[in-house]
Amino acid sequence: MALAHETHSRDVPADERPLLRRLIAKPEFGPLVLLVVLIVVFTAINPNFLSPLNVSNTFPFTVEFGLMALAMTLLMTAGEFDLSVGAVFGFSAVLMWTLFNQGLVPLPLAFVIAIAVAALIGLVNGLFVTRLKIPSFLVTLGMMLVVRGTALFVTDGFPQRTWNAGDQWIANLLVGDFYIGPFRLYMSLFWFILAAVIFWYILNQTKFGNWIQAAGGNPAAARARGVHVDRTKLILFMLCSAMAALAGVISSIRTSAANPNSGTGYELEVIAMVVIGGTALMGGRGTIVGTVLGVFILRLMRNGIVMIGVPGLAYNIFIGAIILGMMALHYGLERRNHAGN
Amino acid sequence: MTDLVRMERITKYYGRVRALDDVSFSVREREIVGLLGDNGAGKSTLIKVLSGAVPASSGEIRIRGKQVDIRSTTDAIANGIETIYQDSALVTQLSIARNLFLGREPTVGPAFLNRMDHTTMNRVASELLRRVGITKRIPPTTPIAALSGGERQAVAIARAMHFDSDLIILDEPTNNLGVAETRGVLNFVRGARDSGHSCIFIAHNIHHVFQVVDRIVVLRRGKVVADDIDPKKSSIDEVELIITGMTDEELAGQPVH
Repeated sequence: MALAHETHSRDVPADERPLLRRLIAKPEFGPLVLLVVLIVVFTAINPNFLSPLNVSNTFPFTVEFGLMALAMTLLMTAGEFDLSVGAVFGFSAVLMWTLFNQGLVPLPLAFVIAIAVAALIGLVNGLFVTRLKIPSFLVTLGMMLVVRGTALFVTDGFPQRTWNAGDQWIANLLVGDFYIGPFRLYMSLFWFILAAVIFWYILNQTKFGNWIQAAGGNPAAARARGVHVDRTKLILFMLCSAMAALAGVISSIRTSAANPNSGTGYELEVIAMVVIGGTALMGGRGTIVGTVLGVFILRLMRNGIVMIGVPGLAYNIFIGAIILGMMALHYGLERRNHAGN
Repeated sequence: MTDLVRMERITKYYGRVRALDDVSFSVREREIVGLLGDNGAGKSTLIKVLSGAVPASSGEIRIRGKQVDIRSTTDAIANGIETIYQDSALVTQLSIARNLFLGREPTVGPAFLNRMDHTTMNRVASELLRRVGITKRIPPTTPIAALSGGERQAVAIARAMHFDSDLIILDEPTNNLGVAETRGVLNFVRGARDSGHSCIFIAHNIHHVFQVVDRIVVLRRGKVVADDIDPKKSSIDEVELIITGMTDEELAGQPVH
């Protein structure tokens, strides 16, 4: 948790618990152990699990989920969540490529418009939640249907072509591929790492991060201290939608197709990644490091069970079991830590 | 002693119900006032008006003689009035230091980085914990959820003291606390007065009130029925009679719970 990074002077009593106990008490510890176990087990059963080809194939899709999960972490820490991210993922790519393919605007401008429209969708979500006091579950469920419906209506359900992106600088900037040794990597990995570092900094080091945690932990107390709870949530809803749009655009360029149906069901998988990582579903506590671990756990799980010969249709059984197990672990650790003082 | 806060002719209606009826109430500089009354007497409403949680239907509030407009809790805080509720209004997931500075976090480095000054926050938080009498070595990075009820109240009091609130309102601060923790909270209240703060102390337990306050004000059915009771010259029995409005005989005939 963030607290470990706060500095101490000689006058300030330090946490005197043994190092191991402090490590175990962190919400990221359980996901880290699970991730290591998964890698060891999958590699032991099928050594190709860590082969350059498999790693190169797994990474790009993983980081696209990751971009959404990082923003969702901040939003969930503030006590809200967004079910429309999967729809925005599909819609934004469709919007960008429709604008470009129709010859209306150049690709970089179409990209900016797609991100801006997504942010606007987030703003509408946020206004419904903060002004009308409607739970984010209902607001974003409605928005999910509106956005997905719009994407299907505009395209008649057909994918938009994106294979003419190859010679565009913005496409290379977002998803250009390169090699490190035998590994083929994409620029999206760089954007994911950058976003993780920035979001970690925001949540743990900044005044705004303190407000995010307070808004989710005890909004009434936060308001009483002068924290702009509603404004904080509005910004996070916009960020969440904008990051979903970025992920959707990246995915569309990588797969050479902007499908209006893409992203269906992603919202629940993204929320599962965040929760597995140790962020509290009801808000107040969030961890970016945990989310990064959660993203890799779910994506490696999907890849690994296929590689070891388990039918892909059984994937949800394992995911459900992991979510239940990690919830029990996080709940148990929290109770133990607080009872221990 | 001069008046720090003076509420004049405050009336408050909830629908047709008159919760406060032309109440005038004052707190002097460096004074601890005990506000007593039975359930429904109007104590909480009076405090909510003063702390900005609800607006008065009529009347005015003066601070050091100057009329002020308190429409929200942030207005109250800006006017030097801090309210500490039973649940302390703290964010349990956040650390002591982060709670103390919530909304007024000091920053360090370039403004656009918005970076909290953790070193200052932790140092000040440790000093404040010592100042309110917490001798146990609690790291300022400890989440509030890990503290006892008394320690939480101490953190809330420390916050009010640090930001130089002139008036600290304590609404049932000893509820659900053990004997030792209650003693600690009462000591924090005395310490706040010694540091130059005024307090309004509300508690159902009259014994606690008698231990710390300089003056007692009693409300009954939305009106002030006594506003200058000296706890050193009055007995608990006498105050109970004023609170209930009963005679000695009537009070003696009440069933014992």
